[in-house]
Amino acid sequence: MSHPKDHSHQHDGEHDHDHDHEHDHAPIESPQEPTGTLRYLEQALRELLNEKGIITAAQIAQQIDLQDSRTPALGSKVVARAWTNAEFKQALLANPLEAINETFGLTITTPLELVVLENKPNLHNMVVCTLCSCYPRMLLGIPPAWYKSTDYRSRVVVEPRAVLREFGTQVPITTEVRVADSTADVRYLVLPLRPAGTEGFTEDQLAALVTRDTMIGTALPQFEQA
Amino acid sequence: MTDSHPEFPPPRFGVGDKVVVKNGPPETHCRTPYYLRGVNGQIIELIGRYQNPSLLAFHKPGLPKLWLYRVRFDQYKIWEQYNGANSDSVVADLYEHWLVPVKEHSNVAP
Amino acid sequence: MQRKVNDVGGLPGEHIDSVDHDATFFEKRIDAMLMLLISPKIKAFSIDALRRTIEENTLDDYTKRGYYEKWLYAIRHLLVEQQILSNEEIDQRITTIMQTKG
Repeated sequence: MSHPKDHSHQHDGEHDHDHDHEHDHAPIESPQEPTGTLRYLEQALRELLNEKGIITAAQIAQQIDLQDSRTPALGSKVVARAWTNAEFKQALLANPLEAINETFGLTITTPLELVVLENKPNLHNMVVCTLCSCYPRMLLGIPPAWYKSTDYRSRVVVEPRAVLREFGTQVPITTEVRVADSTADVRYLVLPLRPAGTEGFTEDQLAALVTRDTMIGTALPQFEQA
Repeated sequence: MTDSHPEFPPPRFGVGDKVVVKNGPPETHCRTPYYLRGVNGQIIELIGRYQNPSLLAFHKPGLPKLWLYRVRFDQYKIWEQYNGANSDSVVADLYEHWLVPVKEHSNVAP
Repeated sequence: MQRKVNDVGGLPGEHIDSVDHDATFFEKRIDAMLMLLISPKIKAFSIDALRRTIEENTLDDYTKRGYYEKWLYAIRHLLVEQQILSNEEIDQRITTIMQTKG
């Protein structure tokens, strides 16, 4: 029986969006679904919780859909808005959750706080949770497997610049690389610097430059002027 | 449960204060990473008062709430052989009972 | 105080596999189960309790078990600890499921 390692390997590009979760029997078969004990345990817990009225199948489906609806695109919009609207940026830095919920009509909550780490010409922020995998999931979606890996969690605090190089990112030696370790349920979002040459870009065009990794701090928004 | 507690002490530290991370106290559920124990840092923000995760971890209410601080550490003070910029840093959110003040001319090893 | 299995900051690590992997449906179901169990409405246990349970893995288990695998075992442990389910009924149900699959 093979167990998935710390990062699950899933190679299907065809993500099935048919969310028919109403029945409890075996879900869509795929080579990546575990076999044996894990699968039976998950099914057993799910069935028992359902039978006891603690968590219904509908609630599971709804929660999956809600989590699916949170993608880095939301974070990208936030960044793009902050780049183009000084008032929003100020509100975002002062009271991130409130600013985001009000501006985008959402009801996001986090365990404690959301803090936005603003990059500056002499400051590059990176985020990690060395102790587990804390991440602003209700804003950016589920964290990537690498973020949760012990390799990232162990290395980024001691050799951040080597980790950046591995991601193909260079930060000048004159810029402070600051690694925020999410030790206490404060969730962090990096506000990257707006790349040069993007003056006059629409918010959508700007958002397209803001990848998930730029909001974790392992990448910089890329724009090559023609 | 109400947040207010008439006898709750004010924060021990303020922004700018120099602190050292303790090596203990022992906690069954600990949110102070090993690599920061005994390291000198500086308070950069008073985050607020929050329930004690060590108690929450055992289904207890986690009261009284504890003061939580954002602390900045120079990388060259954490690692003997840090390979990067002198200005590089780690920032962590730490609870008050893990921090000890450092006086100006303290002999505490960095 | 000793370093716990999850307290990995500064330990040697390998090359980071930064290729994106979509979450499987299985993983999403576990994720959803946990989020609901810790939600204010249900509050079966806290996220802190989940972390504490995962920290109690042996180093071997912590290293070898997958991310959501660790969650699943911890969820089981806590549901029993909170007396929401019993080990007996969980094991019984697993047996039933196995027999049905034949």
